[in-house]
Amino acid sequence: MGDVTAENAASEAALETDDGRITLYGRFQTRAAVSAACLHQAAMSQSPRQSQPRVSSRVAAEGPPDAVRAAVTSAIVLVLIGLVLSIAGNSDSGSSALVRTVKSRLFSPWLVPAWLDLGFDYRLTYGAAEDAVDSLVVGLHGDRGKPMPLPGERDGERAARWRRLAHAIAADVDDADRDGLLAAAVGRGMFEELDGDDVLVRIVRTPPTDRGAPAPPAAAGYTARVRMAGGEVQLLRQEARGEVAPLVRRPVDAGASPPREAP
Amino acid sequence: MTARIAAPPPAPRGLALLGDSWNRFWFTPADVRPLAVVRMVTAMLALLLWWSYAADVQAWFGPRGVLPVDTVRQWRTPAGFSLYDAATSSIAVAGLFHGTGLVFLLLFAGLGTTVVAPLAAVLWASLLHRGPMLAGPADDCLSVLLWCLAIGPAGWCFSCDQWLGDRAGRPAPGRSLRAAISRGLLQVYGCAITVAALLAQAKGDAWWDGLAAWYLASNPTSGMPRLVPLLERSEYLTNLLTHGITAFEVMFAIGIWFAATQRLVARVAIVAWPLVGLLAGMPLWGVAMAVFALPFAIDFVPSTGMEPVAADR
Repeated sequence: MGDVTAENAASEAALETDDGRITLYGRFQTRAAVSAACLHQAAMSQSPRQSQPRVSSRVAAEGPPDAVRAAVTSAIVLVLIGLVLSIAGNSDSGSSALVRTVKSRLFSPWLVPAWLDLGFDYRLTYGAAEDAVDSLVVGLHGDRGKPMPLPGERDGERAARWRRLAHAIAADVDDADRDGLLAAAVGRGMFEELDGDDVLVRIVRTPPTDRGAPAPPAAAGYTARVRMAGGEVQLLRQEARGEVAPLVRRPVDAGASPPREAP
Repeated sequence: MTARIAAPPPAPRGLALLGDSWNRFWFTPADVRPLAVVRMVTAMLALLLWWSYAADVQAWFGPRGVLPVDTVRQWRTPAGFSLYDAATSSIAVAGLFHGTGLVFLLLFAGLGTTVVAPLAAVLWASLLHRGPMLAGPADDCLSVLLWCLAIGPAGWCFSCDQWLGDRAGRPAPGRSLRAAISRGLLQVYGCAITVAALLAQAKGDAWWDGLAAWYLASNPTSGMPRLVPLLERSEYLTNLLTHGITAFEVMFAIGIWFAATQRLVARVAIVAWPLVGLLAGMPLWGVAMAVFALPFAIDFVPSTGMEPVAADR
């Protein structure tokens, strides 16, 4: 505890603690005030950070040298800007050209390798179709044998990873650069396991159940046939029937009534 | 006792106030012990997440796996980089993978932490980049936690490093500037992740009409299927749970910044985040979020060695 003397008896005392020394500002007073200040400092030291006394910039100046502090501050500011740009640039809602450009040129080169270029947009659920649980099913094409049992329908983080792979395969349909890439790789990787070179990769989707409604059945969300042809892996995506336009129109019988127009 | 009377300094305003707050937040040496606890919990979480890869590591990343290096390189962001890309044989993949597990064990034990902590962050990022489509929210948060640990002196307490230091007669660890920076980053990231999650949730109707809790509980992956009959019976309960999650997230993002509420909020978060994670079918993500609150919830009795450490200065 530093040396403190009360010079005059006045009304109020302001105190500031640093480096174990107490300075009383203003018109301060009596030994009682000094004792109170000492007690206050002792109390502060019991609670390291929560109830830290106000530390003046002079105190901070006694910490690291200015050059170190400037360097650390610059690094922290860079990290914080990177964090903001990552959140702004990885949103489902898209991002502006400015954010994309600044992030990709200045921040992504060091944020991406560190796995810090993340949007953290953990919505948990929207109760929408996009929140369906995806399961990966791979089997030989043409109902030959049973599909490969993959752990996507089990509990735990291991199963969650298989579900994420399934989700990525289904979501890649909307990305021209990635479409079919994973499905082909997964199908090709299963040739040996299934002892064949013509397999069907399916993503089965279980949509969320609305409150008070029966659970909707699981449905095929993505189906692709992966086969080896002429030494190359070939991927043939199979559209769901409802989404495919008929190629040949059935001829209308002569005696049948013409189709009615919808009202 | 001698007098030292000074005129009161003018109250800082504007930029000076900002600078003062900045210095106080980032450059006030902090107790290293909470960071050591974060290190141990993070290492355990890392081991759990690492273990979730173990059964399928060859099926995914092996030479005949379903995720060949070339495919993943085409799929992932161009700046992505993985040490696993160079592992072209089964033995190399297994060696690198088990090496990662060993590093996490060393991180837990706090042996060679100065080297092990950054190495753990690099190896984890490498594993995630090898199969980015397999990574989930818990993996993201673990990555952030590991980088925060790499900055701070996470091995100064409750560690083999401390034990070895004691034997060598080194002084007891105290407060550290690096611990303050590490702690500050944990606080900023914990808040930022929560705000980002809140913003994402605000875009969905389910979080406004109060049915999100139903969708979470009724999901086949939820860890709380027993809630479903209860929520089916009472819409109000469903709404209450949904809005409760949102309210908790708001409270966490704001309350963590004020000295008066920080400890309480952090302690609530340690219980609430894992419960939210369990409900959402992502229990390890919930645990990872709780780790961000950990340094603010722990109340250590100050030890005699709580002086700034010279090495920090």
